[in-house]
Amino acid sequence: MVTEQVKHTSNAARGVGKVTVMDGNKAAAYGALLSRVQVLAAYPITPQTPLVEYLSQFVADGALKADFVEVESEHSSLSVLHGASLAGARTFTATSGQGLALMYEPYNRTPTIRLPIVMGIATRDGISPQCVWGGHQDAINVRDAGWIQLFVEDNQEILDTVIMAYKIAEHPDVLLPVNVCYDGFYLSHMADRVEIPPQEIVDEFLPPYRPTHQILDPDNPMSIDPLTPNELFMEYRYKHLQALQRAKQVIADVDQEFASLFGRGYGGLIEKYRMDDAEIAIVGIGSPVGTARVAVDRARDEGKKIGLVKVRALRPFPREELVEALRNVRSVGVMDKNVCFGWGTGVLFMELRSAMLGVPKPPATVGFIDGLGGSDITMEHYARAIAIVDDSANGLAHQEITWLGLEEE
Amino acid sequence: MSVASALEPEVRAQTTRKAQRILGLYDKRCTGCRSCELACAAAKSGTYDLSQSRIRVVSSSVNSFSPVTCLQCARPRCLEVCPTGAIVKNADTGIVSVREEKCVGCAMCALACPYGGMHYSSRDAKVTKCDFCDGDPECVKACATGALEDVNVVPLVDTLYDREDLVSPGLSACLGCNAELLVRFTLKTLGRNVVFASGPSCIAGTGFVGYGPTTGAKVPTYHSLLDNYASMITGTKRYYDQIGKEFHAVCFAGDGGTADVGFQSLSAAAERGENIIYICYDNEGYMNTGIQRSGTTPRGAWTTTTPVGAQRRGKPQHKKDVALIMAMHDIPYVATANAAYLDDYYAKLKRAMEIKDGLSYIHLFSPCPTGWRFPTDKTIEVSRMAVETNFFPLWEADHGKFKINREVPFPKPVEQYLRLVGKYSHLNRAEIDEIQRDLDRRYKRLVALTEM
Repeated sequence: MVTEQVKHTSNAARGVGKVTVMDGNKAAAYGALLSRVQVLAAYPITPQTPLVEYLSQFVADGALKADFVEVESEHSSLSVLHGASLAGARTFTATSGQGLALMYEPYNRTPTIRLPIVMGIATRDGISPQCVWGGHQDAINVRDAGWIQLFVEDNQEILDTVIMAYKIAEHPDVLLPVNVCYDGFYLSHMADRVEIPPQEIVDEFLPPYRPTHQILDPDNPMSIDPLTPNELFMEYRYKHLQALQRAKQVIADVDQEFASLFGRGYGGLIEKYRMDDAEIAIVGIGSPVGTARVAVDRARDEGKKIGLVKVRALRPFPREELVEALRNVRSVGVMDKNVCFGWGTGVLFMELRSAMLGVPKPPATVGFIDGLGGSDITMEHYARAIAIVDDSANGLAHQEITWLGLEEE
Repeated sequence: MSVASALEPEVRAQTTRKAQRILGLYDKRCTGCRSCELACAAAKSGTYDLSQSRIRVVSSSVNSFSPVTCLQCARPRCLEVCPTGAIVKNADTGIVSVREEKCVGCAMCALACPYGGMHYSSRDAKVTKCDFCDGDPECVKACATGALEDVNVVPLVDTLYDREDLVSPGLSACLGCNAELLVRFTLKTLGRNVVFASGPSCIAGTGFVGYGPTTGAKVPTYHSLLDNYASMITGTKRYYDQIGKEFHAVCFAGDGGTADVGFQSLSAAAERGENIIYICYDNEGYMNTGIQRSGTTPRGAWTTTTPVGAQRRGKPQHKKDVALIMAMHDIPYVATANAAYLDDYYAKLKRAMEIKDGLSYIHLFSPCPTGWRFPTDKTIEVSRMAVETNFFPLWEADHGKFKINREVPFPKPVEQYLRLVGKYSHLNRAEIDEIQRDLDRRYKRLVALTEM
């Protein structure tokens, strides 16, 4: 889909690759393959399972020269990566839902000891009522653990973002782990056109990982993560937060560099679509953005001055970028595929509202919750949402939060 | 003169490999009869003049005796201080002897010896000492109670004497901590070419991994999570194997991190055949957290979560036999060890370092004075009694071949062990008998495994 800001293909770029069709799990596996990961560890869980199989096959075929550790749990998969990353390896894993929940302990430690690990999350609603289907709740629940979280819209973006994620994670200004969050089933199991970038251009873009901040090495002994008292702990936290803020610039720069080599860019932290003269806007995240593009196009055809803002980075949160992108609109509809327990809203809605605090003449914000537990966010749902945003822009009465799926029944 | 200059380098290297015989001196068996002194005097002077004996029985209080003689030190102080080079250590036998023709009778050696092994005769203005009777000590033959034994020792001191202590001084362990002794000994044996995982447990609590910007270890050490020792170190080992870097990947975990919350990752690493050395120091509970029960707390033991009261009398369940469970994973090497038998532990750790075809598991018995309620100077005594009663047998399984490394021909009743340890002080006759029956049953199972 061609957007105003982003050229999705450009024959001028040197990094034009082979075009094929693959599901999202395979795109993630190709991302890891092209990034030349050295140690992998993963435990199968729906809907991430095919990814584990693809990677195992890559290693079995010799296409990927890496150790694949067939662990007994997600807790161990991330733990194996801790040991490998501390030894200097480039590492990869992926999980979903319950697996991410089981991983919670090493998950929290990964960014706090500054390990540039990349992990896919084939997002899944969790955990009860028992459900294996899509939703963003698993990744959303751990948004404050200190990782960088990038959400993607389609399979091409999965592959490209995995490669970019290493460049971001290993950047000396950052040194933090990155989640590449792609919608379970909607992307993980959906076949789509994907261009596989040439290995030599990926190598040029992504040099080998050489840790300089810490290492577990008999030739250079050091203690890693000893008991850390009060003020020193605060200092570490402060520096971690600073690194997450610095990551904003790095994410944007890496995206531009990627675009120049491969002819595809994603806008960095956010992507704006038909926003130039927009009076109202939809803000979305993940695969539902694909549907939103069509919904916006249709509304434009009907004469509505509407645009779309896609949030790629949930962490670090693109606060200034969103404020800037939405400064001229009268009303914004936020599509959440998750809930914010205790606020009765979605998380993106709540965070966007926070971002708008103190902004002169902020747009009205309207929230939509949809797509939970694998339910569809349909064109009709978007049309209904756009109508409500329109009402709000025109000062008409409307609900603050609308559960689109439920409303019909 | 130092040993280094007294022995040629090749000869020194040889002595470090050989076992050496010394006199084992067992105070508790000594009745003070002085038969050894008579036998020695007769052998060395042809008289019964006890002043000519090179062994002495000393009495520290009523009914408490200690035989005192030369221990044939690996690094003899006497040799080092002798101004004339009259004292030599035989490179083959390890026996330290005085060359009478060179001795000037200055008695520096007698002053230097910390064990009372040198005997100065003012009449002859010479020094004499035990020469091990050409390998057949008369005193041992004369001792009726077994207070003297001719024992073979692996020359541990020779081997480890020059090794750097790879743990910083001043760890904040409790008085009498066995685990601190074990971690220091473990790293001395392993050397510097290791990556060490030490997660939440007493050892990490002592500051071994460090505190703030300081470190407690001189080797690369990672404060793993309580439950991911084995999987974390797997990643390090796999990557270094991939790039051809040789080292030993070692976990040093407590029993909670091993038998309970960390067992899943340990079992999986064993099943996958990861080439790591996993050492569990078992102090039979969550001692660093304040003496709560774990899966390896033995039956009947008091802990703060298995208290003794009107309704409950310590832990009602058995101790989980983690070493045996690990052996059932068909991994290449499993062993149990104990600080009272460091030569045995040394040999086992060296064996584990040789293993390349999978995981080695060593289960260390680690009595805890604080948590087990016994005096801080009894740690080794408790360790030894655990073996002498078969409460904690020393065994190994090398590629499936089980062997008991220290057979106890006449095991003592377990009551003698239980009475040393305060956490069992509430046990009555029937409960002790039940523990004995259970211990006998488990030991029979172990013996059966050695016969397979």
